[in-house]
Amino acid sequence: MKQICVIFRHSPIGNSASREGLDFALLSASFEQQVSVVFTDEAVLHLVKNQQPELVGSKDYLSTFKALNLYDIETVLVCQESAKQFGLKQDDFNFEAELASTTDIQQVLAQSDEVVVY
Amino acid sequence: MNKFIIQVNGTVYGSTASFRALRFTESVLSLGHEVTRIFFYQDGVSNSSHLICPASDEHDLHQAWKNLASEFDIQLINCVSAALRRGVISEQEATENAKSQFNSSDPFEMGGLGELVTGIETSDRLVCF
Repeated sequence: MKQICVIFRHSPIGNSASREGLDFALLSASFEQQVSVVFTDEAVLHLVKNQQPELVGSKDYLSTFKALNLYDIETVLVCQESAKQFGLKQDDFNFEAELASTTDIQQVLAQSDEVVVY
Repeated sequence: MNKFIIQVNGTVYGSTASFRALRFTESVLSLGHEVTRIFFYQDGVSNSSHLICPASDEHDLHQAWKNLASEFDIQLINCVSAALRRGVISEQEATENAKSQFNSSDPFEMGGLGELVTGIETSDRLVCF
């Protein structure tokens, strides 16, 4: 068992990186790895409620982020600096995640065996 | 000696990620480390296309991966769902999906993300490009 940290840093609109990162995170968890997830930069936009990815030709993978907890992925962090830049507050979040400082995120990275960036 | 697993996410042409992945792999092998598996994910699956035809004075990454795999006996694995979405298919998928052509051939194999995760678990270090 390894501790894997998956970092999302791309917007949900415009590319498929996050969808493939999410697949990787869920699959790693189902293979009994200990997975943590961090949203930073434009990726904090994944937390915005009521998005309709179908309108830009994507599958609605955003609702799958709600499954992170079901897969026992308990550490779901949102970079508070990035959230602030995009005007996002915890009340606005579409799924369970907590705002985290740079220090909090550094701690998770330090504890991880592997860090994968999507 | 360390065991590495390499993940290639960059496209075969248009970014330098795959080239750097190849050079990194060659480098760790030359230092006596082991590379168990190269896993192609996201746009990295384009590296496995047999139809890549660079100009004669340019680098042929597809061929370079094949040479590396046969010389050092390294598995080259495509994430099958990432590949199918990008028009990279093997003979078997061509049959299953009623396509008249396929473009991924040996030693590239189709596999699941599980092979990436088990590879990570059994290696000392994952390096992504």
